[in-house]
Amino acid sequence: MHVHTCLSPCGDLDMHPSAIVDAGAGANLHGLAVCDHHAADNLPAVQRAGKARGLAVLPGMEITTEEEVHLLALLPDATAAGVLQARVSAVLPGRNVPDIFGLQVIANERAEVLGFNESRLAGATTWNLERAVDEIHRVEGLAIAAHADRERSGIVGQLGFVPPGLALDAIEVSAATTFDLGRARLGLPLGLPVVTGSDAHDPASLGRAITYWYLDDATPREVRLALRGEGGRAVLGGGRPMEDLALHILDLARNGLEAGATRIEIDVSEDLAGNRLTISVRDNGRGMHAPVVARAADPFFTTRGTRDVGLGLPLLKQAAEAARGALRIDSVPGQGTVTTATFEHRHVDRAPLGDLETTVLVLMASSPEVELVLTHRRSARAYTLASSDLRAALGECSWSSPEAIALVRGAIRHGEASLEERGHEGS
Amino acid sequence: MTVAEVAARLDAATMTAIPVSRPVLGGYASDLLSDVMANAREGDVWVTLQKHVNVVAVAQLVNLAAIVLVHGRKPDPDTVARANEHGVPILVTACSAFEAVGRLWESGLRGRGAP
Repeated sequence: MHVHTCLSPCGDLDMHPSAIVDAGAGANLHGLAVCDHHAADNLPAVQRAGKARGLAVLPGMEITTEEEVHLLALLPDATAAGVLQARVSAVLPGRNVPDIFGLQVIANERAEVLGFNESRLAGATTWNLERAVDEIHRVEGLAIAAHADRERSGIVGQLGFVPPGLALDAIEVSAATTFDLGRARLGLPLGLPVVTGSDAHDPASLGRAITYWYLDDATPREVRLALRGEGGRAVLGGGRPMEDLALHILDLARNGLEAGATRIEIDVSEDLAGNRLTISVRDNGRGMHAPVVARAADPFFTTRGTRDVGLGLPLLKQAAEAARGALRIDSVPGQGTVTTATFEHRHVDRAPLGDLETTVLVLMASSPEVELVLTHRRSARAYTLASSDLRAALGECSWSSPEAIALVRGAIRHGEASLEERGHEGS
Repeated sequence: MTVAEVAARLDAATMTAIPVSRPVLGGYASDLLSDVMANAREGDVWVTLQKHVNVVAVAQLVNLAAIVLVHGRKPDPDTVARANEHGVPILVTACSAFEAVGRLWESGLRGRGAP
C-alpha cells in the first residue's frame, strides 16, 4: 500500500520501476501502490512493468502537510495523479538539492534514467491537514493517515490526536507495530479501517508489511469499496509476513490447503508459568513422505511450482530457534501433517503473535468450504472457534460480508478478552 | 510574570479576546504535539510554530497559560474561535522560536522538570 520509487529523494536508486515489480512479485503480492513524495512521475513505468508481470500497480502519492503530517493519497487513475501532482507542485516551495536530499530520478521500465524531478519533494506543502484531505477528495482519491503510529510525521505524533471531524478514509500503521495494536489504538477509537504497508524505500523492504483484501480485482475502485465496506468487498487484515507468528500460522494453513485439506486445526497455547509458547497447525491433507519432511524447512526446497524457494517453514524454524524453541513436522502420507513450533514465551527475541483475527478472516474468506478450528489457550483459560459454528450463525451471508466479518471479529475479540487475567472465565 | 508581560517581552499581538492576566509559571517549546501533551506542565507558556486547531485542545488538556506562535504565523480562524471558546490565549510574535525562548529566559522564566 505504500511503496517509494527512486523518484523519492529518500528512495534507493535500486527502486526503479521493474525492480519494484520484481520485488513485489517475489513477495507474492497481488498489487502494490506507488506513493512517492509529492509526485507520480514514475507511476506509468511501474504500471507498465506491473502489467507485464501480472502485478496490479495502484496510483498513489504521499503528501506532507503544513503540520508535517504525512498523508497517503490513493488515486483512481494516472490522470488523477497528474492533476494532484500539478496542484501539489504549486504549494511545494523550493527546488531539490541532490547533495542533501538525494536524487529524484525519473526512470522507465528498462531502468534507464529519463530525467530528474526538480521540485524539493522532501519538503512540506503549505496545505494544512484539512485542505490536503479536501484536495485528495477533489480528485476522487482516498486520504489515508500514513504510518499513524510513528511519532515523527505520523498524525498522532505531530498533532497529539486525530482532529475530530477530519474526513480520513483509513489509517495506515507502519511495519514498526503489529496490526492488532494499530487497530486497537487507532482504528477502532476512530471508527476507521486500518491498513498497513511497507513504506519501502529499498527492494528488500517491499512486502515487509502487507494488507489482505477481499476484492474482485486489485483496482482503486475495488479498494475504495472495501474501505467503505460496500459491495461485499472488505479489508480482511494485515501484518508483517516475515515477523508476526499469526501470519506464519496463515502460511502453514495455506500449505495444508494446497495439500487438499478439508479441515485445519490451529492451536496456540501460552503456558505463562512454564514460559512456553506452542503453536501447532494440523491438517488432513495428503501428507508428506519422510524425505520431503526432512527437507521441508530447507529454504531452497519447495513443492510449489509458483516460486523458486519456500520461505515460510525456514523462517518459522529460524524464529522458533531464535527464542530457544524448535520446529517439528509430523506427517503421515494420506492422513495429514502437524507442524509444531515452540518458543520461550518471554524470550527477548520471541516474535510477536500478531493478529489472529487476520489469520482467521483470510482463511475463511479464501477457503469458505474448509472447516477451520482455532483454539487459543493462556494458562488455565481457553477459547475455541469453529467455522461450522460461525457458518450456522450466519445463514446465507458470504464470508466477506460486513455481517460475517463483524461476527468473526466479535467472536475472536470475545475469546481474546476471556483470556485476560481480569476477564471472566474461559469457556 | 503574566501572559500580558509575555506578550510585551515578545512584541506579540494577542489574537484572542480573553483576559491575559493569568500568571505564567514556566515555559515549554516543541512542535510535536504528542510531546507537549506528555511533557509540558500546567501554567506553562508554550512556544510553537504549529497553528492547527489541535494546539488549543492540547493547551486545554495540559492547562497551559498561553500559546505563543512564532515567526508571525497567524492561527487558522477555527483555531482562534476554539481558543476564545476554551479560554486559551494565543499570542503571535515575529520572533523565531530561538529568539522568543531567549527573551523569556532573560526575563526570568524557566523550563520545569529539567535535570
